Amino acid sequence: MRQKLRNAELRLGLLVVLITTSGYLLVQLADKPKLPSDLWLFLGVVIALYGAAHFAVRRLAPNANPVLLPLAAFLNGIGFVVISRLDRDLARNQAAWTAAGVAAFIITLALVRRIRTLERYRYTFLFIGIIAVLLPLVPKLGKEINGARLWVGIGPLNFQPGEAAKVLLVIFFAAYLVDKRELLASGTRKFGRLILPDPKHLGPLLLVWGISILIMVRQKDLGSALLFFTVFSTMLYIATDRVSYLVIGGVLFIGGATIAYQLFDHVQTRVSTWIDPWPVADGKGFQIVQSMFAFGTGGLSGTGLGLGNPQQIPNAATDFVFSAVGEELGLIGAVAVLSAILLLVGSSFNIAIKTPRPFSKLFAGGLATILGVQSFIIIAGTTRVIPLTGITLPFVSYGGSSLVANFVILALLMRISDDTARAAAEQPSRTAHALPQ
Amino acid sequence: MPQLLSPLLADAVPEAVLTILKFGFLALVYLFLWQVVRVVMLELRPASVGGRSKNSPPVVKRTKNRAARIRIIEPSAHSGETFTVGQEITIGRGGACTVVIANDEFASTIHARIFPSNEDVLVEDLGSRNGTLVNGTAIQGIVALSHGDQVQFGQTVVEVIR
Repeated sequence: MRQKLRNAELRLGLLVVLITTSGYLLVQLADKPKLPSDLWLFLGVVIALYGAAHFAVRRLAPNANPVLLPLAAFLNGIGFVVISRLDRDLARNQAAWTAAGVAAFIITLALVRRIRTLERYRYTFLFIGIIAVLLPLVPKLGKEINGARLWVGIGPLNFQPGEAAKVLLVIFFAAYLVDKRELLASGTRKFGRLILPDPKHLGPLLLVWGISILIMVRQKDLGSALLFFTVFSTMLYIATDRVSYLVIGGVLFIGGATIAYQLFDHVQTRVSTWIDPWPVADGKGFQIVQSMFAFGTGGLSGTGLGLGNPQQIPNAATDFVFSAVGEELGLIGAVAVLSAILLLVGSSFNIAIKTPRPFSKLFAGGLATILGVQSFIIIAGTTRVIPLTGITLPFVSYGGSSLVANFVILALLMRISDDTARAAAEQPSRTAHALPQ
Repeated sequence: MPQLLSPLLADAVPEAVLTILKFGFLALVYLFLWQVVRVVMLELRPASVGGRSKNSPPVVKRTKNRAARIRIIEPSAHSGETFTVGQEITIGRGGACTVVIANDEFASTIHARIFPSNEDVLVEDLGSRNGTLVNGTAIQGIVALSHGDQVQFGQTVVEVIR
């Protein structure tokens, strides 16, 4: 059984290697009719990276879900091809970060042998997580890049501690909610069909709301603020099965968004360019208009890799990577990326559903929500479904901290699914035989 | 494929060739997604083997291979409550445990686990603050239990029934 799972993972991985390498080749062929000199090196690196991750899973989590790693590798590969087409320097960095991400993936699998070890250090994780959120605000250490103060620079290296914080805080939320869910689920006030929890149990929700507001106001990072708050509200809902938390969360969100709209110019700009970017197409609306041109140029099947002009979109490698995919691979390619994300998030939720342990369930649910909400925020932003809030598209966008954090999330999800499958297998086989039919 | 093309190539790859390659690439992407979906479907179908929760309660067949049970002796408020060691059970104050002893201030969040292994029932302390005692002696590592043993977590005492 476990052999079968891992062989499927290997087979899918070979396809990913083929896709990534031929994508890389196509970008070069669009430029000149010669095989790129580094094609074999590239192929070797892709095989080495996937092979390292795959054989680590064989050793460390042999019963884990077989599609998560190939899907992440696919998204990562497509992202890399598009980035290599936009900017060679960025591509070199991204390759290094991917290697760092795979290393983080293997280290996570090796260190976290049992998911419940994490449950025990909940307050340590909360502490480190809050420090990580606040770190960019420390004078001298924190840096402001592109108007958002969410970077920490040590020497030549810049990173976003908020990416690590989101994983750490989800561990804490999950452990906390498992303990308190009975209290939180018991309602005391009724308004019609809505049962409201006792106000004193609203503390954690308000705390997270406060943290989100702080991120938004002090670091001007709308995307992360939205992500934190949505993920926590969703986990609260998963833990308690009370719709009232979604309603309260929604009200708090609308309140926070209204305040942000009143206070900040850049929020007002985002909303006005969302409603109608055309009057300011050369100014503030330039980015979103270019994004729409990209999708329009791409049409059904795209211009072909290396044949469009996605470099005209500002931040095409990070926030707008999906638009670049839409231009060069068209609707068909964009839908493929979307499907891969859907399969990744869906499989992650399936891991949450399958595991019998409440902590693992909430933790996996939280991690799946991170991936899903983050993808939604940025894809919907670039396609003008919602106002734009900058955040990375998991595994696809350029960005070191984000890539490493996503690989850690991947490792944790695979650890949970391995735990579940192992627990089921450890059950003495006599029970399986004793079952009717 | 590139080798086949190279004699044809002048200073640029013909547009038609690039178009064919583009569709070939997209086809490859969808082949991958289709394969993923197939694996996911296979994963979902035998889920009945892995998703045992439905079957768990009646799994304890009252035949000769009777699963062991533990019965709470102290505190008296919960005295007589019985839990089946059909699969691993965890004891502690945390809500995630199988046996939640939230009011026992001397127990840890995840205090200990009791689990069957072949014909034995084993207990392991999971790094609790006050330790786990079997018949009054603190245990180290994993200890096998027999009928009538009394196991203490914090101030909670259970008796093993086999």
